[in-house]
Amino acid sequence: MDANKNNKTISLGFVTVRHHPIHGYFGGYLIVNSLARPLEFHCTLPVQPTRAQQILYGSTLAEFVCGEQIARALVTKAKGTPQVLFSDTLAVLTLRHMQSIPMAVIEFPNGESSSLPRPECDRESYHRFKAFGKQFSVLPEFAEDSSEIQGLFDAQKSPLDLLEPFGRIEEALMEAHPATKAA
Amino acid sequence: MVPQNDALAGIAVESDWFSTGVETQTWTPLEAWSNDISIDFAESYTNDRIAFESLKVLPIQLSQTLPRTIGFAFPESPQWTAPEPKVARPAPPQVVHIDKDTNDPEFESDDDSETAKPRKSITRMRPPGDLVRLEDRLYYVLQPPMETIIQSAKLTFPFQPFPYQLEGIAFLFPRDAAILADEMGLGKTMQAITTIRMLLLSGELKNVLLICPKPLVTNWMREFKQWAPEIPLAIIEGDSAKRNWIWTNPQAPVKIANYELMMRDRDVFEANDLHFDLVVLDEAQRIKNRNSTTSEIVRSIPRTRSWALTGTPIENSVEDLVSIFEFLAPGYLRDDMHLKSLGKATRDYILRRTKDKVLTDMPPKLYRPAELELTGEQRASYRSAEEDGIVQLNEMGESVTIHHVFELVLRLKQICNFDPATGASAKLERLEADLEEIAASGQKAIVFSQWVSTLDLLGERLAKYNPLYYHGGVPSNKRDAVIDQFKNDPKNKVILMSYGAGAVGLNLQFCHYVFLFDRWWNPAVEDQAINRAHRLGVKQPVTVTRMMSLETIEERIHDVLEQKRELFNNLFAETGTPQNLGLSQKEIFGLFGLNVPKYQPKVA
Repeated sequence: MDANKNNKTISLGFVTVRHHPIHGYFGGYLIVNSLARPLEFHCTLPVQPTRAQQILYGSTLAEFVCGEQIARALVTKAKGTPQVLFSDTLAVLTLRHMQSIPMAVIEFPNGESSSLPRPECDRESYHRFKAFGKQFSVLPEFAEDSSEIQGLFDAQKSPLDLLEPFGRIEEALMEAHPATKAA
Repeated sequence: MVPQNDALAGIAVESDWFSTGVETQTWTPLEAWSNDISIDFAESYTNDRIAFESLKVLPIQLSQTLPRTIGFAFPESPQWTAPEPKVARPAPPQVVHIDKDTNDPEFESDDDSETAKPRKSITRMRPPGDLVRLEDRLYYVLQPPMETIIQSAKLTFPFQPFPYQLEGIAFLFPRDAAILADEMGLGKTMQAITTIRMLLLSGELKNVLLICPKPLVTNWMREFKQWAPEIPLAIIEGDSAKRNWIWTNPQAPVKIANYELMMRDRDVFEANDLHFDLVVLDEAQRIKNRNSTTSEIVRSIPRTRSWALTGTPIENSVEDLVSIFEFLAPGYLRDDMHLKSLGKATRDYILRRTKDKVLTDMPPKLYRPAELELTGEQRASYRSAEEDGIVQLNEMGESVTIHHVFELVLRLKQICNFDPATGASAKLERLEADLEEIAASGQKAIVFSQWVSTLDLLGERLAKYNPLYYHGGVPSNKRDAVIDQFKNDPKNKVILMSYGAGAVGLNLQFCHYVFLFDRWWNPAVEDQAINRAHRLGVKQPVTVTRMMSLETIEERIHDVLEQKRELFNNLFAETGTPQNLGLSQKEIFGLFGLNVPKYQPKVA
């Protein structure tokens, strides 16, 4: 990735999925510019895996629903293409198999929780790296994403907080699906 | 992804139980597959592998439909970086460095400990309750935190805003109708200016009208220069032709007018088809009487957004608040609404914070009641006046009016200040004693009274402290100079202020002693007066001496004032219905044990 890209052209994608015990899975996707201002937002309607899917995908159900279904639908629908995709949900990383944008999951600091739980994921093998004071994970088969991501931000002096947009997405999901507020 | 359940993968093809040549497409989402069938498969396999051999399994073509989505695109704001100011600034600007923990600027940090450090709260915009469209609501929900906007837009401030001030900005930003009702001294002016600045920069506003009391125009100019130096201002002043030109001049996005001028220029809006994106009323309690001309005029200004700034949205009764809402959202509130309903209905429109809640580090206000016995001369004059007055009121019978009662109240209050025959004053004796100590320690004091005549008398008796005057008799164009002199000249130890002129808009936080020589009719105005000294930037506790003559009308009024204070607290705390809603006629007559005659006009 071109590290000298003009700041104004930089856009970042933040995709996340939350799980509601009654309504199922909700996904949100926010594209922001280099000043963290929103450019696009997409969210899915609630997704409830069928019993058949639960049986067929077993322990990989979350990766299938979150990454291949929800995140894929969101990224496909967006008009803009960000330089990098971030998520806070490991189960979303399987999306990387289906598109070419570098992608990483950022770990939230210990003890930081969200109003709606993030789906659990059983996969254990990730390529992990630290940058900008944060811990990142990428799929091992896309380990080169780590250097691309670090290269992108080495050139940036934006004060953007990479964890903060997930809070916005979560609030937007609750606005779009008010029933989830009671969870 | 290939399904992970090996057993089911093996049984999916009808012709060959053990074939591994399963086509991947067979295993896409099973939207049409009934739960019953799948459960049968699983249970059968678990219980008895042999049982499968008798089952007939059919391949099902599964849909590859992705979940449905809804989406919105937001236009990039035209400009979010403040241009360099064209005018000279009073002080060198500082780029605000938002607290690292608050904004978490990890781009500049490679510190591993960041991951373990809990992140502090951030200030988000929230859509107002009356915003209905999801797209509009999401526009605000999805905006970055205030800290990020300020930092990324490189907005410069003379000093770092407090977190509660950022919350105030986040509150005002998305609202078409809002009351910022922070306690005096918390920086309502700065919050309003910064929000206006951000809305102008983001292109959401093009022209703003700010209306304030005339003495505060220069204060607003000064604050704009400090907090938003790049914004051109137009002050509505001068003769009719000049004002007309200023009103219609599109060059300055922010116009500042005073309430008094609005009376004269009421026809300008209609004649010139003016429309404002935002109208801000400072000291909005000025429109608490909705039948006043001022209120009618400001309500008639064509506008999109309406904000009211006031530390005292209720001075006397809830009708004050209803009147302000007639400007914000006509018809939204009614006078007869129950207090709790009123609190609920206004919750989304009003933001009120008090110093004790948000400025825990701020030096406190120390109240020191000075409950004084009248001097012998004063007591004699007081008794005589009260007895004579009550006799007169009683003799008037049904013809007595509220004004007659007020006259007696005022006469008695003046005697509490000074004996009219001898000039004796228990309050002055106490004040002189206190001032001697204050002046000796190099400090200064503010003395408030409701009468200019009392201030004049005080000025004569306190001559050795070189008192300055700030009241309605001082021309408005000389008032700033008075304040400057009081601030800078060490010889002037005292400033004598009337509640009317000195209670609002002044910054006197260098002064740590306030004397209320007599009491005003409502506690909100007294609080405004006290907060001239006790406001942001104050370095020491502010000592407030409330003077009250015992066993006089002042003591009885004090009890009523306390009830009013309770009303205010009750509305904003929604803790219940107060017993009294202000200084009612019954209470005023009751000060002298009189009953209200029939057919009295209502007095607030």
